Amino acid sequence: MPLLKIFGLTQRFGGLQALSDFSFQMEEFQLVGLIGPNGAGKTTVFNIVSGFYKPTEGGVVFDRKPISGLKPHQITALGMARTFQNIRLWNNMTVLDNLRLAGYAWLGYGFWNAILRTKRYNQSERDIENHAREILEMMDLTDYAEEFPRNLPYGLQRRVELARALVSKPRLLLLDEPAAGLNSADVEDLIRHIRWIHEKFKLSIWMIEHQMKVVMNLCQHITVIDFGCVIASGTPEEIRNNPSVIKAYLGDDTL
Amino acid sequence: MKRYTINIFLFAAAVVLVLLAQFKAPGSDSKILDGYVLSILMLIGINCIFAVSLNLVNGYMGEFSCGHGGFMCVGAYVGSLLSVAFFSNSKLFGTALFAPYLAPFLFPLVLLGAMLAAALAGLLVALPSFKTRDDYLAIITIAANYIIISLIENIDAIGGPRGFSGMNKTINAMTDLVSLPWMLMWTLVGVYICVAVVRRLMSSTYGKGISAVCQNEVAAEMMGINTNRVKIMAFMVSSGLGGLAGVLYAHVYGYVNASSFGLLKSTEGLVMVYLGGMGSISGVLMAAVAFTLLVEVLRFVIPWLNDGLHAIHVLPDSYQLDQVWTWVFIPLMLILLMQFRPEGFLGNRELTHVFPRLKRWFTLK
Repeated sequence: MPLLKIFGLTQRFGGLQALSDFSFQMEEFQLVGLIGPNGAGKTTVFNIVSGFYKPTEGGVVFDRKPISGLKPHQITALGMARTFQNIRLWNNMTVLDNLRLAGYAWLGYGFWNAILRTKRYNQSERDIENHAREILEMMDLTDYAEEFPRNLPYGLQRRVELARALVSKPRLLLLDEPAAGLNSADVEDLIRHIRWIHEKFKLSIWMIEHQMKVVMNLCQHITVIDFGCVIASGTPEEIRNNPSVIKAYLGDDTL
Repeated sequence: MKRYTINIFLFAAAVVLVLLAQFKAPGSDSKILDGYVLSILMLIGINCIFAVSLNLVNGYMGEFSCGHGGFMCVGAYVGSLLSVAFFSNSKLFGTALFAPYLAPFLFPLVLLGAMLAAALAGLLVALPSFKTRDDYLAIITIAANYIIISLIENIDAIGGPRGFSGMNKTINAMTDLVSLPWMLMWTLVGVYICVAVVRRLMSSTYGKGISAVCQNEVAAEMMGINTNRVKIMAFMVSSGLGGLAGVLYAHVYGYVNASSFGLLKSTEGLVMVYLGGMGSISGVLMAAVAFTLLVEVLRFVIPWLNDGLHAIHVLPDSYQLDQVWTWVFIPLMLILLMQFRPEGFLGNRELTHVFPRLKRWFTLK
């Protein structure tokens, strides 16, 4: 049984067909990539899978549960987390608070426990704090725990966002262009971190990425889409030599 | 130890205030804190509750609610009605539900009822907030304020535009049992509860969801925060505590009138929040004290100014500077404040951030 199964996904925005009949599936503990030229519909796929859009047609099954139509926070609670193409951290909170808040999905208490400071509240806050600090440590971010994200360099902000996604204890991690805007040293770091969390947490990772270095290095399997349709899928080696992929990226004339 | 020192200190300060209000100065006929000072103290307390609760929405959640007076009004009326129904014989409710000597013990029920009712009224704003933000939500809050005021003014059974009274009997029932400055005590308890609730909420991960929704709603939703529930919670807590300010106000003055909770009241709340600094409990508390005192001081300063300006013949004899000018001076001050210190007294920080030594005694975050 695949961990994530997408079938016949179609998304129309008014007259624009952003996705047509997109199907895909991935197994547990796979690390796969989704690539395609700008505007191909990659982020639309992620937005549907994570619950921000309701697809016009088709559906998504995550861990045997149909999830299209659920709210993003419900999908997160089922064990999916994602990062964003443009970093979306909470900038007026410290890095540690950012990570702590990602534990919201498995917070063991509600309003009255917080007001009355019950045992349950203390226990739950302690668990979250420990987990967040553990992840900070693993991602080499402990030194920045009390910094505000907006004061950190871009590469570190990316890493904080990755760390935050991990705190929600996901089984499937969606990374939307994790290497966007990073310099080559940061990219090396990122590749190392992604490979490491993949092994360490036994995570399934699905990433959108433009930098071929990242995709070719990390992914076991790649899907290519253009104009909302799948045009190829296979191992990095197959994709590299696929004529329709080269055509989509470079155009007809160069061939 | 840190946990208790501040509470012990606050308790001691409260006891001193109550004692000062209770006993007469030697060789004098009046209490050390006379009725006038006492009423200002209570008003400061009420304004503290009003502003700190509004700060939850306007400061921490980053929405612009201009209808907080409406929720205060719901609290004031529901509290007054409960109070009259519980402890006095009235035309409206018939004989009292409880014997008068129970008043001090059952008064918390009145406060609780008022808070619950105001919290429910908060839904009027919370539900539209799912799909609306910023300016549009601000307009909805103004509308909510008007709806509440008009609704109450049009219910003739509770006095309509004439207002509602009779709460004095509840206070008298308390003083008959034990002669104490009861309303001062209830107000102090109210301020403590309000600050404790907001502080505890905002220092818990659960409550920080409010700030997360404020700063990046998409990220909040994606990281597992039920943003709609967070909004409902924030609006209901805020309006519920606003209702607490209302019920105390009603009992301090013994009379309520819906028209005193209009947009002007809501604006007073906004002034206090922006004066103190959004998202800062200690800043807003300071602002509430400063604002209330300023209004009182102007009451004396304006006649002096009037006399002075007449003495040096700046003003024509036919024109008198009167109390209306309070509402020229205060907005003027607000303009100057926004011009030169737009973040308010403390901005987003607490007193403990500005003076780290205070951390030995208490933390607000």
